[in-house]
Amino acid sequence: MSGAAAPRRVLVLRCPDWLDNAGTTGPPAEGSGASGQEGGAAARAFEPVVAVVEGFCPQVEVLRPGVCAIPARGPARYFGGEVELAAKLAEAVRQRGVDCQVGVADGLFAAGLAARTGRGLVVPPGKTREFLAGFPVGVLGVSDLCELLPRLGIETLGQLAGLPPAEAASRFGPPGKLACRLARGLDPRPLVPRPPAADLSAALEFDPPAEQSEPVIFAAKALADQMHDRLASDGFACVRVRVDVQFADGTQVSRLWRHDGLLSALAVAERVRWQLDGQASAPGPAGRRGMSEGNADDAGWPGSFGITLLRLVPDQLVRATGRQLALWGDPVISDRVARAALRVQAMLGHGCVTRPVLAGGRRPAEQVLLVPFGDAGVPQRPAERPWPAQIPAPAPATVYPVPLAASVTSESGEAVSVSGRAGLSAAPAWLSVADGPTHLITQWAGPWPVTQRWWDPPHACRQARFQLVADDGTAWLVALQDGRWQIEARYD
Amino acid sequence: MRHRDDVLTGEGLLPVLPALRDLLPGGGLQRGSVVTSGDFGLLSLALVAGAVAEGAWCAVVGVSAIGMRAAAEAGVDPDRVLLIGEPGTRWPQVVASLLDGFDVVLLGPPSAPPSQLRRKLEAAARRYGSVLVVAGDWPGAQSRLLVADAKWTGIGAGHGRLRARRARVLASGRGAGERLRSAWLWLPGPDGSVTVATGVAVSEPGVPGGGSVGTTADGSGLVATGRLASSG
Repeated sequence: MSGAAAPRRVLVLRCPDWLDNAGTTGPPAEGSGASGQEGGAAARAFEPVVAVVEGFCPQVEVLRPGVCAIPARGPARYFGGEVELAAKLAEAVRQRGVDCQVGVADGLFAAGLAARTGRGLVVPPGKTREFLAGFPVGVLGVSDLCELLPRLGIETLGQLAGLPPAEAASRFGPPGKLACRLARGLDPRPLVPRPPAADLSAALEFDPPAEQSEPVIFAAKALADQMHDRLASDGFACVRVRVDVQFADGTQVSRLWRHDGLLSALAVAERVRWQLDGQASAPGPAGRRGMSEGNADDAGWPGSFGITLLRLVPDQLVRATGRQLALWGDPVISDRVARAALRVQAMLGHGCVTRPVLAGGRRPAEQVLLVPFGDAGVPQRPAERPWPAQIPAPAPATVYPVPLAASVTSESGEAVSVSGRAGLSAAPAWLSVADGPTHLITQWAGPWPVTQRWWDPPHACRQARFQLVADDGTAWLVALQDGRWQIEARYD
Repeated sequence: MRHRDDVLTGEGLLPVLPALRDLLPGGGLQRGSVVTSGDFGLLSLALVAGAVAEGAWCAVVGVSAIGMRAAAEAGVDPDRVLLIGEPGTRWPQVVASLLDGFDVVLLGPPSAPPSQLRRKLEAAARRYGSVLVVAGDWPGAQSRLLVADAKWTGIGAGHGRLRARRARVLASGRGAGERLRSAWLWLPGPDGSVTVATGVAVSEPGVPGGGSVGTTADGSGLVATGRLASSG
C-alpha cells in the first residue's frame, strides 16, 4: 500500500464568496468585507453549506471555511456517476443562495484545483497527472519551492512530475518529495498503512451537561493536549481530527476538520468553537437549541439541553516529523499565555481579544489591523510598501479608532479652512478638542493634503492634515475633512 | 509550570529599556509589583517595551486608542502583544485572568478602582509574578512615573514637523524606590525610540531646532540621581 496505490476519488466544493479576499476568509453577505474578519464568523456562516453537503455524504471534511471535501466513490455510485453527483451537489448548494464550484479528481489536491478551474469539472480516474501537468508550480502553495523551481526551469507540475522521485527528494527535501507526489497525482503523504491499534481518541463527559459553549471549548484544549501526547508517544501526528459532540437529548454531531499544517492543541480548540457556534446558529437538528441570533459567542444550550460528551478522534495519521506550526506567524505562543487569552475570550467573546498586526496606510488608524486571537489574519495593505504622504516617524502613541471632533480657529476666532490648492485661510491659533477648553496653538505645521481611494467611495478620503502643539504641551495630529476638523491622534 | 526564566534578569526583575533603568528601583520592573505611568502615553508603552523585547508577553487592557506603530517604534514587538480594548464592566476579572499568564499587563482603568479591588489585583500580580503597569492613578503602586515637563522639537509656527520630544520623567515610589528620581529622555526620539537625552545632546543632529529646546530651570540634572554606573 505505498505510493503506487491509486488515491481515492475526492469531490471538493468551493464557495468563492468565502475566498475572494485572496487568502483571508470572510463571511459572505455581511458585506463589510474589510479588515478584521473573524475566521470564526466565516466558519459559522459556512455551516449551512456543510449541512447541505452532509445530505450527500455524512463524511464531510471541512478544509477551511469555504472549502469542504467528500469521498466521491460511494455517493457517485448512488447518484449515478460522478458528473451527476457534482451537478446535483452544486445545484443543492446554489439553492441555498450560495455560489459554488465543484471538482472531482484523484486525491484532494487535484480535486481542489479541479474545483477552482471550472464548474463541475470531473477529471476521469487515472487522468489526474495529465490534468495537473499544465498548472504552474505556484499552485503547490509551498512558498520556498515555488520560487526556486521556476528558477531551475521547472515551471509546470508536468515538468516536476517528470523528475525522478528519489532525486527530487534528495535535492529539495521533504517539501520537494511532497510536491513531487502531488504533481504526479498521488496523495501528499502515503497514509499510515496500519490503522491505529489502540484507541487514540480523547473524550470528556460533562455532568451536569454543559449549557455554555465556552467551558466545552476550554476542555477541548486540554483534551487536544491529551490526544497529542498519546499520538506523540507513538510517533504520530494527525492532520485531520473528528470532533464528536453529544447533546443531552441523545443527538450527536460529528465533524471532520483538516488543517494545512498539523493541528495544534489550540487549533483543535478553535475548531471545536467553530463547530459549536455553527451548530448554535444552524437551522438543522441541533439548531433548535434556540440560540439567540447573531451573537453566538454568548450562546448557551438553555433548558434541559446541554453538551454531555466531547470526543476528539484523530482521523488521519502521519508520521510525526517534529514540525508543529503555530496558527499565526512565527512566535510560538506559550501555553500559559494561550490559556489566559482563551479564558478572557470565554468571558468577553471571541472578537474582544485581538492581536495587532501592523498594516500599511496613510492615516494612523489604518496602520494596524486587529485580528481576533486564534484567527489567522493577513493585512490587505502590507506595511512594508512605501506609503507616500504617510506622516513620518515618530508615530503618535494615542490613535483614536474614531476621530474626535475638534475646532481650530484663527486669531480672530473664525474657523480655519483650506482651499482646494492647499491654501490656508488663516494661521491656526486656537484649538479645542471634543468641545473641551480652548488652548492657544504655539507651534503648528501643515497642511499636508492627502487624497486616497477616490475610486472606492466607502473608503475614499480627502484630507488636509496638520500637526498642532497646544500651550499645555500636548501635540495633536489634526485633519480637516469635508469641512470638519477632527483629531486623528495624539502625540504623547 | 513556570516558563519564565527566559526573561528573568536577576531576582524577579523584568528588563526595561536602558533609558528607564535609572528611574526604577533595581533597574527593572519588579515582578509582582504595580507601576504607574501617568495618563496613557508613550511612557506607558516604553515601560513595557524592554520586557517585550526580551521575550515577555504583554496584554493591553482598556486602551482602545493604543498607537501600535508608536509602540513598535519604541520597541514593543506587536507579535507579543494582545489587546483587550473594551473589557467592559468585568475588567477586574479580565485583568486578574491575564496576570496569570502574561508577564506584563498594561491597564488603562476604565474607572477609578475602589481600594478593595486594587488590593485584589495587587495580590494577583504578586501571586503570579507578573507586573501590572497602570496608565492612570493607583494609590498602592510600588513605583510611579510621570512626565513632568516636555517640549517638542522640529516644529515651528507653520513649518517643520514634530520630530522629537524632550521630556523630564519623574519617578517616585515606596520602599527601595522612595527617593525621587528624574531623568531627561527623548520621548520619543526622531525615530520613535526612547533614549536618554543628555545635556549636550540637546542639539542632537537630526533634531533641527533642538538648540532652542532650552534646558529648563533644573535641566542641569540630566540623568539626575545615582546608579549611573549600572550600564549593563
